[in-house]
Formats: sequence, C-alpha cells, structure tokens
Amino acid sequence: MKDFEYIQPDSIATATELLAEGDAAWSNVSRRAIAGGQDLFGELKTGIVEVDSLVDLKATGADNTIAVDPSGNLRIGALVKLTDVAELAERGPVASLLAAAALSVASPQIRSQATLGGNLCQRPRCLYYRRPEAICLKKGGDECFAYGGHNKYNAILGGGPSFIVHPSDLAPALVALDAKVTIAGAGGATRELPLADLYTLPSEGDVTRETVLTPSEVLTQVETQLPLVDRMAGTWRSSWQKFRERDGFDFALSAVAMCLRVADRRIVDARVVLGGVAPRPWRSAEAEAALIGQELATHGSAEFDALAVAAGEAALTGAEPLDHNGYKIPLTKGLVRRALQELSR
Amino acid sequence: MSRSQDSTPSWPTATAAGTGLREGRVLGRDIKRVDGPAKATGRAGYGHDQRPANLVFAQFLCSTTPNAEFTLDLAPALAVDGVVDAMAVAEGKTVHLGQPIAAVAAVSPQAAAEGVRALAQHGLEVTVLPHAISIEQAMAEGAPAVRRSGNVGRVRSSDEGDVEAGKQEALDAGGVVLTRTYEVPVQHHACLETHGMVVDYSGGEEATIWASVQGTFAMHDGPPEYLELDPSVVHGRVEHMGGGFGSKFGVGVEGRVACQLSKRLGRPVHLFMDRETEFHAAGNRSGNRVTVTAAMAPDGRITAMESDSLRLGGLSGGSYAGLPYVYTVANSKSAMRSVHTHTDGNRAMRAPGHPQASFGMEGILDELAYANGVDPLTARLANLPEDEWNGVWRRQLERVAREIGWYEHEHRTAPGPHEVVGANEVVVGIGFGLSVWGGGGSRGNEVELRVDRDGRVSVAVGTQDLGTGARTLVSAITAEEFGLDTGQVSESIGSTRLGRGNMSGGSVTTASLAPAVKDAAHKMSVVLLAKAAEATGVDVAELAFAEGGRVTGGGVDIAWKDLCSRLAATGETTHGSWVRELQDSGVHGAQAAKVAVDLVTGHVEVLEMVCMQDIGFVLNHLAAKSQVQGAMVQSLSYALFEERLIDADLGLALNPNFESYKLANSTTIPPMKVLFDPEDERGVIGIGEPPAIPGAAAIAGAVHNACGLRLASLPLTPDKVLMGLEELRARG
Ligand SMILES: Cc1cc2nc3c(=O)[nH]c(=O)nc-3n(C[C@H](O)[C@H](O)[C@H](O)COP(=O)(O)OP(=O)(O)OC[C@H]3O[C@@H](n4cnc5c(N)ncnc54)[C@H](O)[C@@H]3O)c2cc1C
Ligand code: SF4
Repeated sequence: MKDFEYIQPDSIATATELLAEGDAAWSNVSRRAIAGGQDLFGELKTGIVEVDSLVDLKATGADNTIAVDPSGNLRIGALVKLTDVAELAERGPVASLLAAAALSVASPQIRSQATLGGNLCQRPRCLYYRRPEAICLKKGGDECFAYGGHNKYNAILGGGPSFIVHPSDLAPALVALDAKVTIAGAGGATRELPLADLYTLPSEGDVTRETVLTPSEVLTQVETQLPLVDRMAGTWRSSWQKFRERDGFDFALSAVAMCLRVADRRIVDARVVLGGVAPRPWRSAEAEAALIGQELATHGSAEFDALAVAAGEAALTGAEPLDHNGYKIPLTKGLVRRALQELSR
Repeated sequence: MSRSQDSTPSWPTATAAGTGLREGRVLGRDIKRVDGPAKATGRAGYGHDQRPANLVFAQFLCSTTPNAEFTLDLAPALAVDGVVDAMAVAEGKTVHLGQPIAAVAAVSPQAAAEGVRALAQHGLEVTVLPHAISIEQAMAEGAPAVRRSGNVGRVRSSDEGDVEAGKQEALDAGGVVLTRTYEVPVQHHACLETHGMVVDYSGGEEATIWASVQGTFAMHDGPPEYLELDPSVVHGRVEHMGGGFGSKFGVGVEGRVACQLSKRLGRPVHLFMDRETEFHAAGNRSGNRVTVTAAMAPDGRITAMESDSLRLGGLSGGSYAGLPYVYTVANSKSAMRSVHTHTDGNRAMRAPGHPQASFGMEGILDELAYANGVDPLTARLANLPEDEWNGVWRRQLERVAREIGWYEHEHRTAPGPHEVVGANEVVVGIGFGLSVWGGGGSRGNEVELRVDRDGRVSVAVGTQDLGTGARTLVSAITAEEFGLDTGQVSESIGSTRLGRGNMSGGSVTTASLAPAVKDAAHKMSVVLLAKAAEATGVDVAELAFAEGGRVTGGGVDIAWKDLCSRLAATGETTHGSWVRELQDSGVHGAQAAKVAVDLVTGHVEVLEMVCMQDIGFVLNHLAAKSQVQGAMVQSLSYALFEERLIDADLGLALNPNFESYKLANSTTIPPMKVLFDPEDERGVIGIGEPPAIPGAAAIAGAVHNACGLRLASLPLTPDKVLMGLEELRARG
C-alpha cells in the first residue's frame, strides 16, 4: 500500500470541498472519502485502488444518529455503525427488516467499524475485481473475465457487460423500505434521490461505477418511506432472507427483502427486492404483481405452494445464468418461498 | 508412581470408572496446557513475534503468472526510502504461481512492501509462457512441459485376483456394477502463523534463529551453511509455533533467504510470508481425481474394483493412499499417476493421501450399497479386512453408529427424499467413514531431567510443540512419576541447545517423546528411592512415591523437600531416551456424521459428528480430544468450504486470502463427540492425523443418505447441492 495523506475535515462541507479538489473523473481519482474503512482498506491493501489522500468522514461530526418517526419509519445518518443498526429494537416492519439485514453483514468486528454510508457505497466483491492483476472492464480494461470464467458468485439478472452483484445487504433492505438518500456535494449543494436510483446497471452508464455519485459527493442520510400511515387497510410485515455459502460471515449468494401489507390475509401491497443476484438491488415488479391481491395462505398448504412458486417464478423473470451460477435461480425462488413462509405465520 | 529399583518403566494401569480407560494421578486425565495462560494472554513468543534490536523486515516479490521468464533489476527497490537490501531468489524463470522471485529488506514492513511494489512495477520484466493449471491443460496434446520428464508421471499399478470374474460374480448373484468419478480439490494447510524465520545475527561468530518449523533441529539443516557458521554456534529456537500440519518440515526458501540477507547485512532479519504467498508457495494437500468401477453382491460384499487415479500435486507428485483404502476387495486392480501443473508442489498434510482415498472409497461403497438395497453400515462391515483389526473397526463402527442414532434413523437401506414433501423442507442423513494410520515413535529424543536440592524439578529436551501439547506432556509425565503436580515441574523445549528432538510429522511426536521423558523420570525415581532407602534403612523394594512427592512404605513417610535435601549440592541428573515398549503403532478409527440438507436452499449443515479411535494409552485426555476435534473440524471444512480457485485460462489465483478461501468457523462447527477405545491395551500412539481422514467422506455420505444426492466432488457447496437436486428431480 502506497503512503497517503490522511485528512480529517471538521464538517461535511469541508469534506466535499476537499473531495472536489481531487479529480472530477472517477477514473483518475486520487483522493477518496473513507468512513469505517472496512471495504476501502481492503482495496488499498490489495493494491486495486491507490490514493494520495483519504478524507475521513467520521471526523466531520456529521449525523450518526437514528431517529424513528411515530409511524415507525427511520432516518439514519450515513455514519451510523452497522452494530447500531443491527441493535435496533425489532419494533415494526421497518426496524426489524433493517436490523436483520445489518446483523447478517460480515462479522461483529467488521460491523463495529462499518458504517451505513460505506455499506451502501462499497465496491464489488467479484473475485476478478479484487485481484490487482486482473484489469477487467470494471477497472478500465476491455474484458469481463467472470463472463467466461469463475462466475459462481456473479449476476443472473441485469448483468452485462460487467456481471458483478451488488454486495451490500442493507441496500436491498432499504430499497424495499422505499428509502431515499440525501447527498451532499461541493459548494453546500444537497440533493435527494430514491435509494433505488442511486444505483446503476453496468449497461446504463460508466461500467466502472455502481452509483450515480460524483467523486465529490457523499451520502449523509437515509430515510425509509414505507407508507405505514396511509389510508390503505392492513398492516405491513417484513422478512429478510440472506443465504450464505458459509454461515457466520459471508456475502449473500442471494438475498430477498420482502415487505407485504396484509389485510384479512390478503396481500394488498408488496415490495420484493433481491440482493446478491444483480449489479444493483433488484426490485422485482413482477414478483410484487404476482403477490398483490393474493391470499397469504399458511405454509404447508397447496395454496401456499402455488403462491410461492408463482412469486418465485415472477421474481426471476428475465434471469440469464452464466456457466456456474444457474443455482441462483432455484436458490432465489427458495428464498422468496422462505420470506413468504415467515410472513404467513 | 513407580516402585522398586530394577522395575522397568510402565504407564499407569488403574482403570477409570466410566470410560474404562487407564489413568494415573496426572496422566490419563484432562491435563490443562502448561502454556495455556501464556498463549491466551499473548505472552507466548512465536517466531513471528521476535524483534531483536536493529531488525530489518524482508518480504518476497512473487510471481503472479504460472510460467514465465523474467529479468530483474533490483535498483528500483533499493531506491525506496528505508530499503536496505534486495536480492534475487529465483533465477530468470518461475514455474509456479506465487513463486518467490526476489526479496526486499527494509527498516519497516511498510518500506519493504514499498520496495516490493517498486520492484514489481519498475524492476521486473516478465515474458509470460504458456501454462498448464488444470488437468485438461496439463494432459492436452502439445501442453507446455511442467517438468522435464513430462506432465504425466509413471503409472503405478497393482493387480490382484480377477476383476472380470469378480464383476460377473456380483452380477450373477443379482448385484450391481457401477462406474463413478470422484474428485477432491487442493486443500491448504492454512497455518495461522505463516512460514518464516527471524535471524538474530549481527555479524560475528554467533546467531540465534527463530523459525516456524516442525522440527527444532531442522534449523541446523541449511542455516549454518547460509550463515557460514558452525552449527554449534547457530542457536535454533521454536518455543511456540502457529501450526504446521505437515507443511513446515524444513526452513524452506524463506529460511534460506532470511539467513542470506542477514549474512549480507550483518543485521537481524525478519522474513515471514504474507498470507497470499503462504497460499501459493507453502505447500498444500494434493487434489485427486479417481475413476472407479466396482461390483457389489447383494450381501454387501464388493467383489471387484478397478480404479484409475490422478494425483494433483502441482510441481510435486501428490499423494494418494489408493483404493480400496482400508477395505478388502478380493479382485482389485488400480492405476495411479501424477499430473503436474504450474502450481506449488504439494507437501505432507495431516494423513497425506488418506482423506482423498477415503472420499472415493466410502463414496463408491455408499453408492453400491444403496443400489443393492443394503444399508451403508452393513456394507462396511461386509468389506472389512479379515485380519486382527476386523474386530476393532467393527466395534468402532457399531459404536459410532449407536452414538449418532443410526439404529433409530428413518432411512437406512435407501436414501431419504429429494423432493419437498408437505412442510418437510429439511432432511436429515447419516454417513460413515473409516481410517487407518501408524503413529508409532522412533529413537531420537534425548531428555535431561534434573532434581535440585531445594526440590525443584526441571526437564529439558529440544523438541518442539506445534500447538499439540507436547510441552505439557513433558511436565505431566515427569510430575506423574513423583506424585507432583504439573505446576511443580518446569520444562524447557524448543532449543537446539537442549537434547536432541525428533521432527514432528506423521503423528510420531508423542510416541517418540513420551517414552524418552518417561525413561528419564523412571531413572530419576530409581535414584531417589535408593537415596530414601539409604537414609531410612528400609528395603528399597518397599518404597514408592505417593501424593505430593512423598516417599512412603515400610513405615516411613518422607516429604519431597526432605528427600531432595539429601542430594548432593549439584542435584541429580538423569537422561532418558526412547523405550520401544512404552509405545506402539497402528491406529484405527471410525467416524459418523449427521447432516441436515435444506432441499429449498441447498444448505448442508453438519449437526453432529462422532469419532472413535484406538490410540493406546491416552496420556492427556483433553489434548487428545482436542487433537481429534481439530482434525474433525479440518475435515468438515474440507467437506463443505475449502477450494483453491485459479482461473485456468488466465493463470490467475483468485482467492489467496481467508475471505474467499473459506474455512469452517465457530458457527459451522457442531458438537463433536470423541471416544477412545477402552479395549486398546497398548502403549502410547500418536493421534494427529487419523481423525483427519474419514470426516469429509462421512459428511458426503450423510448428504447422500439424507436425500439421495451423491456429490462426486468436494466441497459440498449449495450450488452443487441445488443443481444436483434439480437433476434428481428431473430424473424423477
Ligand atoms: C470479510 C468481509 C465480509 C463482509 N461481509 C459483508 C456482508 O456480508 N454484507 C455486506 O453488506 N457487506 C459486507 N462487507 C463489506 C462491509 O460491510 C462494508 O464494506 C462496510 O459496510 C463498509 O462500510 P465502511 O464504513 O467500513 O466503508 P469504507 O470502507 O469506509 O467505504 C466504502 C466505500 O464507500 C465510500 N464511502 C464511505 N462512506 C461514504 C459516504 N457516506 N458517501 C459516499 N461514499 C462513501 C468509500 O469511499 C469507499 O469507496 C464485508 C467486508 C469484509 C471485509
Ligand atoms: S463481473 Fe465486472 S468486476 Fe467481475 S470480471 Fe467482469 S467486469 Fe470485472
């Protein structure tokens, strides 16, 4: 790892100014924001990223609190530690989904350093991306090595020309909670975006990036906006299903964040977002459509099976496996089924 | 506690209630590690921890391509601030991924890393040559030659009986013939302390070296020559070390380079591999692919077996114990070859070649058994050798079967369902495996025991403790002899200045070391009892050591301190060496595993494992049990997670780190029951390797038993389970 300057700005405004002094193009960025460092230090140590300076967001004293509004939606500062998200009292569908997702991230040691903002902005884990010798598309090269190589952990949905999966567990959970993010930029500018729109597909823009952030922008806050108090009948329930190859700590081979609003056992509204299978959190309108209007039958019944199969099939609409990741199709269907099983209790 | 002047040394003979195993006052029980507190608090000094004054840190620059020619200019490294030296390690050519090319020494690890980076970027010109990483690449027509002798080694074959007649015999009786291919990947030793050495040499006529090796005296093999010093002035030390598992027999290229840099600089050098280098340049358990055709009669007897196996040891030959492994098949033919690739050569690893053979053998046994409607336990019993060990394996198999709940298990002669039935999405299965190993000792340890006039007891031998508890044994065996506690004996090990010690490997340590310590202790007790007899006038034959070091008998009762106060000012010293009769060789074991297979997600969870071993006299129950459990954990990890990934086309290592080379962790390790065979009356035998053999095969068998899915390759990951289940369902 090359020596770098370590800068501790006293505010987000100073931080974004400092970041704006770096290069405007991501491809040349030599100054980066750092929060918990659990991802970025790994990149620096393996040599896939080099910087001249790091701007430590933790030093800014920016928002690191969690606020709950009366309905149960949450406003969380980007610098909140995952440990604190994981320890949210499991009251209501929002807090319980987020707590479960956060608790499934990495190990206790990593969660105690890692931040929400860093989790949402972490870089891919594709085995090739993480090797300094492999200059693939994602790193400015001209080939995706995973496409014809070891792609067991890669995308089955939304892939091409890069086939990464977005590694964050909190991103699909938050997208399922209709979260919006607040972004601070240079010159005191701020903007808000639905979290879903923060992420891009490799085919949609700069293949070397996963978000629409510019080098001088940072996330400052995330707010969930699940319609908990509108006039629609019923109550929301949520389920987080993450499947790891190795229990204890591992990234998701596939994950499902599901929120259902249920009235008289009938599903009146739904959010289904997949993690670990696509280059961004993958919200499945097809799965939601397959669920809305259906009765939430109890596990073990034929009706339950029919619903689980229909929702699973719908969620995987358009899935195109590579040579070694076809298993993600039955796996993801299985996780949709497990989410429904939990919510039908 | 020994008696009488002319008795020969022997282990305690009392039998413990409950286990039926032999026990003494200290030995044969749970003895806590004497170095436990030092390790738990970080006080224990490993080689990696040593920081002599004026130290420089060295690091390797390693090859990132499998096969290449290169030219090297050291100047860019030497230009880096803090770098004090750099040297070439390979000469113009590298032949495996991760091969050390050069080393850089600097005043800090950071500066050394910078130097390596500078060298990689500006000092190294590489010409990439075609490579062979996979079996297919290595065996292809026109493949680049990995070794001058070719990529495929000589066939080693054996042929007994008449295989065709054996097959016919099974078929005539209504049995089956199956052909299957089983494959296991390369496994890494994954030592927590990487390979390396600290050389404390500042010019002059003496050096101390601290290496992470499996033999203290291995430090006299190479380093004196590299340092141009006489071995007598090269003090090798290995007080504590962080795991070897067979990969640390010699000082290696890391030891050579550390010494050479130190010699050149006249400064102490610290050279330990980083994790990536450790993965690709420090050995591994060889992979294997075997194709086997076998026939089984309806009674469960395998009547014929034919196998062809490829050993995948990279640049080395690989190891494979061969089929039918521990079983006996009357008509059997086997062929074995090495296939060489541009990857690091395999080294010994915990029962080299055995887990690989076990995976294929137990696999075909299960498949044949279910195809015949025979249960897998019966099938195993039907194929045990008809020798003196038949009964041992039989009682072990039956015991582990009972312990794991086999006799109450739902599906025994046919596997469980591969389809979800009703709300039943998780199915449970049980599998078995057998093992065999030597574990006997040999001459070589020279133990010195000293008792001082103030009652202090010290025992010294140069042997090393790989983390297995050898150090504790040295104290415990001595303490037992005199009725003392382990805390009253101070032990010194891990130094070439002490009496010679054997290399640890092949499970030989305990059976080599324990008899020698016992010999020294026994000789000392003879001397001390004679002193007591002389002082009291009681016939020595009536005297013996009792609790607390007292000598009693013939109406006398002498305290330890009083007895020792009668010694000469110089105390008493005895020397012990190996006593064949105190040890033995040849151990046998059976394991059973119970797993839950999630038919929806493909998740395999090991619920429970049971192991039964005969290991002669169990000196320290706690250590022996830990040793067995550690081996079972390693085989669980091999079964479910571990896989070295290399992109064969690019020749690129993909997971040389503990994040993506996955190891079992505390949440994946189930209760593991360890039973020692009480009917074993022999002396001490080593136990390090045998329990690492059958676990993976037993787990694969349990998956098969649970849902009918035989996975033909390790690791048993959810992708394979899910795709396998889909295939079974498609077949109906
Ligand atoms: C062994 C291991 C296992 C892991 N397992 C999981 C897992 O199971 N699930 C999971 O989701 N993650 C996992 N991670 C990733 C880790 O959880 C995330 O990397 C962590 O949340 C990152 O947070 P951080 O604050 O440490 O980020 P940093 O490393 O500080 O930053 C990560 C990236 O985000 C940028 N960044 C940080 N904060 C902001 C901000 N506020 N605005 C804009 N950009 C920002 C940084 O520039 C950097 O590029 C694992 C990591 C490791 C090392
Ligand atoms: S999937 Fe993306 S990161 Fe991985 S090799 Fe392809 S381009 Fe690179």
